[in-house]
Amino acid sequence: MKKIKNDGSLYLNPYLGGVILGTVLLLSFYISGRGLGASGAVKNTVAATVNAVAPQHVEKSAYYCQFAGGDKEPMSNWLVYEVLGVLAGAFISGIIFNRLKLKVEHSPKITSRRRLIFALLGGVLFGFGTQLARGCTSGAALSGMAVLSFGGYITMIAIFGTAFIAAWVLRKNWI
Amino acid sequence: MKEELFASGRNIPNIDPYLNIWHWQIPGYLFLGGLAAGILFFASFFTIMGKEEKMQATVKKAPMIVPFALVLGLFFLFLDLKHKLYFWQLYTTVRIQSPMSWGAWVLMAITPLSMVWAASYVRELFPKWDWKYNILKKTEKWVIANRILLAWPLAILSVILGIYTGILLSAFNARPLWNTSILGPLFLVSGMSTGAAVIMLMSKDHKERKIMGRIDILLIIVELFFIIHLFMGFLAGSEVQVNAANLFLGGKFTAPFFAFVVILGLLFPAVLEIFELKGYKVPIVVPAVLILLGGLIFRFLMVEAGQITRYLY
Repeated sequence: MKKIKNDGSLYLNPYLGGVILGTVLLLSFYISGRGLGASGAVKNTVAATVNAVAPQHVEKSAYYCQFAGGDKEPMSNWLVYEVLGVLAGAFISGIIFNRLKLKVEHSPKITSRRRLIFALLGGVLFGFGTQLARGCTSGAALSGMAVLSFGGYITMIAIFGTAFIAAWVLRKNWI
Repeated sequence: MKEELFASGRNIPNIDPYLNIWHWQIPGYLFLGGLAAGILFFASFFTIMGKEEKMQATVKKAPMIVPFALVLGLFFLFLDLKHKLYFWQLYTTVRIQSPMSWGAWVLMAITPLSMVWAASYVRELFPKWDWKYNILKKTEKWVIANRILLAWPLAILSVILGIYTGILLSAFNARPLWNTSILGPLFLVSGMSTGAAVIMLMSKDHKERKIMGRIDILLIIVELFFIIHLFMGFLAGSEVQVNAANLFLGGKFTAPFFAFVVILGLLFPAVLEIFELKGYKVPIVVPAVLILLGGLIFRFLMVEAGQITRYLY
């Protein structure tokens, strides 16, 4: 790779990125028999943690019961390993493009604190939503649409439609 | 001592069909022993080569933690003993054919030597330190003047210690996963790799880290080869050995072994180290910690999986 301008501002062409992501998805179906996902790994980690701390609660909860307790092993799941791979891959990408440092990216008009609080709120809402929708952008929308699942398209429209409205409402945080 | 009486060789609690006697203490000890062996080997090797000043963290800093690692490891071994108060009986005999005897005696020799080595550098690293007694000061003077004399036995003993951490398992002829002589070299190389990782973590000198990084990449390649060799050997063996290998090649240990040991514990850190050698900025703590975790998980998996492999069906 030619190092022309490696000051951390170099990004991959988004269209090329999309093609690569699609190829990854295809390979994921071929190798593991399952699509990609992110919220599933978080969900299983939460279920495993709850099961370790309060197994009685897991048994009583209709939600946790699906993933943990009994003979179920929430951590031996393809998505958990996949997310570890995502972290490793992102790390290498950060090294190659010289972006490997701890920082909070935010608009100069707001503080890091505000940015982190909003990111956390957004994350909580999104995590809650993924459990209602049975999947997130990767698990339901991307992997779902790849197999022509109707739910996948609905999820995609819902996520991006809501994000469009929310972005307008919260635009003062960025511009 | 109470002996239990078995009327049959089968269905013995905790022994047949599955061994269930070794818990976290053993892999914990194997990890610390391998790590100590690795650090001591590099410390003595670079001393013999006359590179003490260029390899400060390797020769002076990292060996400081070795006595603590060894003592903690020995404490783990002690916790594992059923009849704890009889441990001294290991030192009433020397048995060439017993791995326990090898281990006991090697540790008996290397632990005090590592303490002397570390102590001889204490004043250099902590200038305010005072040994108080004249005899200690004289001993220190003698050790500093004769470090090479100390480095040779340390280098040899550290290799024996590293190999012994694998032999402790491979001497179990009733457990097919362990009963392979490749475990000795495999554990030695893995231990040296974890030792190199600790040195990289402790070193502030870029050149030294680069040298250790290069050595580590080489060790990782050798270790991967040994792992492939281990499974090749099993798959070319009898049914029980094929079954043992299958625990890692499709069985319940497959995902943790390949994800945490092979990919995140070996391949990924090696890739990061190669990037660092190529001039990219890599926080060294990431590959180093991953190597340490990979080594620890590897020992846990080997001890756990080995206990459920067996000859009799």
